[in-house]
Amino acid sequence: MSPLDAPATPRPRAPLRRPERGRLVGGVAAGLAAHLGLRSAVPVRIALVALVPFAGTGLALYLFWWVTVPVADAARDAAAGGPPSLLARVAPRLAGAGAVRRWPVGDLLVGGLLVVCAVLLLQMRDGGGMRSTWLLPAMVLVLGLVLAWSQLDAVQRGRSRGGAPSPVLRLLGGVVLAGVGVLLLVGDVSGRGVEPATLVQSVIASVAVLGGVGLVLAPWWLRLVRELGDERAARARESERADIAAHLHDSVLQTLALIRARADDPTEVARMARAQERELREWLYDDRSVPGTSVAAELRAVVAEVEDTRTGPEGGAVAVDTVVVGDREPDAQTAALLQAAREALVNAVVHGRPPVSLYMEVGPRTVEVFVRDRGEGFDLADIPADRFGVRESILGRVRRRGGTATVQSTPGRGTEVHLCVPVDGAVPEAVADHAPEPAPAAAEPAGAPAPAAVPPTVPQRQEAR
Amino acid sequence: MSQAVPVPVPVPGVVDVVLVDDHHMFRAGVRASLDERVRVVGEAASVDEAVTVVTGLHPAVVLLDVHLPGGDGGGGAEVLRRCTPLLGTTRFLALSVSDAAEDVVAVIRAGARGYVTKAIQGRELTDAVLRVAADDAVFSPRLAGFVLDAFGTAAGDVAIADDELDRLSAREREVMRLIARGYSYREVASELFISIKTVETHVSAVLRKLQLSSRHELTRWAAARRLL
Repeated sequence: MSPLDAPATPRPRAPLRRPERGRLVGGVAAGLAAHLGLRSAVPVRIALVALVPFAGTGLALYLFWWVTVPVADAARDAAAGGPPSLLARVAPRLAGAGAVRRWPVGDLLVGGLLVVCAVLLLQMRDGGGMRSTWLLPAMVLVLGLVLAWSQLDAVQRGRSRGGAPSPVLRLLGGVVLAGVGVLLLVGDVSGRGVEPATLVQSVIASVAVLGGVGLVLAPWWLRLVRELGDERAARARESERADIAAHLHDSVLQTLALIRARADDPTEVARMARAQERELREWLYDDRSVPGTSVAAELRAVVAEVEDTRTGPEGGAVAVDTVVVGDREPDAQTAALLQAAREALVNAVVHGRPPVSLYMEVGPRTVEVFVRDRGEGFDLADIPADRFGVRESILGRVRRRGGTATVQSTPGRGTEVHLCVPVDGAVPEAVADHAPEPAPAAAEPAGAPAPAAVPPTVPQRQEAR
Repeated sequence: MSQAVPVPVPVPGVVDVVLVDDHHMFRAGVRASLDERVRVVGEAASVDEAVTVVTGLHPAVVLLDVHLPGGDGGGGAEVLRRCTPLLGTTRFLALSVSDAAEDVVAVIRAGARGYVTKAIQGRELTDAVLRVAADDAVFSPRLAGFVLDAFGTAAGDVAIADDELDRLSAREREVMRLIARGYSYREVASELFISIKTVETHVSAVLRKLQLSSRHELTRWAAARRLL
């Protein structure tokens, strides 16, 4: 049998690793086979078993490798080292999905041995057979160790799999088994079996000793844990810094290069500079919120979009001076408000004159938006009824949500659009169109400047029909 | 140090200004954009230099960057703390690119009379300097937004008594909202049918509250953001 069909080009040998798949007990034999370039782990297994009678060499070797060889998938590593083809990247995952180990051989082995031990122990209690009594306690001890250590191995392997109590149970079981084994051994050495009193005494003594040692070592252990935490935090900070540096390289340098290349186009330069400034500010100063949890962040996104895509009446880029007070989770009400605000903002940028100011205030019962420009202003009455823009997309949207919308336009002082929608508990009473009985106005907040839920007939404001 | 700090002869009607910023290009830009109503008498690029120049020159107004190298690393707020004896005669106007709340609040609470962003236009900057020189407060829309955020906008947050430090009065809040909406002091005055002087009084009162208040939201809010 020639397991090595030596390929023309000497393939780099796979590193010695214990694979996660295709293992029987610890993966030593499978790993060795992969390392040696064998197709199957069977010859290695046979060799190891054959070595056992020689003073336990096979067992010792196996244990040595089990302890010292790290877990990894040599095949996957080799694939990753090779040319990065799609297949190479996808293949391990596919293989992993398919090759589910059907028989937990290691567990079965340990379980079977435990049963045998229990039977033998019972026999010994009854005074039957078995003269060399040190063997049995030793086996119990070793089995306990195997149980606990295999668990350590498994914990390392699948950290994400946590949550099941079985690892802890197994660890505890292993510790108890090992303890019982030690006690049996000690009892055996001291003479004739273990008396119950001695057993209790020795258990108490060992627990006391362990506790004492634990107390002595606790400070070191705590410090170790703390240092580990510190180190983790430092690494997180480091990676964040690297993130920012990479970001600076990526986008800021690129924008600067673009700006230099297009220095003769002031509009484009201003727009790029503004977009980059906005992005950088977001990076440096904003609390990067989880998407879908912040109305303020959504508003900023709307502003960014308008700034990037719209130009003012003279064709120049327009910066929107945005101030947001408060925040809340977005819902249907605020979504409608933001859409209306976007339309108002586009109007202000395209038809008005900079500076354009945007102010949003998120209150407990209402969310308000003010969009202001310094243009000539316009009279709503002049807008033909078929012009859908202002009437429908801004005012209608907000009113359908039970909110109010007013446009205040003064020649020379620009136009200000005020949008306000009720949120939370304030919604039902404000949607007066659908509610037959008028809600009592007593529940309205007494906040002086808020024309919030005041019915849409504010005298001094020009009211859009 | 190389400057012998010659105290300039005051010119009537012109406000003396010291520029403190560690970016030479930015100082040059500000110097060029200020008009003839103000005169730049000195410049400084670090905390220690700023303290030396300001104490030597006693300018009417100091334009102070929030982030400065040197000293104990405290930036603009440290300059303010070390110049505390001068605060009666020299006014500080904070000028920064930073949007971060803790930067703004730190310099304001250390004694600055106002806060403007570096995007401000030349004429408005001169106006702001003159306003600070007249011992009024200068609030940008963003600072007004910070104030509203910190003092709360709910109905229960309105101060009843005038001397309450932890809450804004209804009028003060109205003024803050208008400033946050982009209104100038003049526009605020005509919107509320009050005089500009009254607007300035309200803004100064808010500034004082911002500096002295121990409102726990203010400190908690600043602390919470420092973590980010």
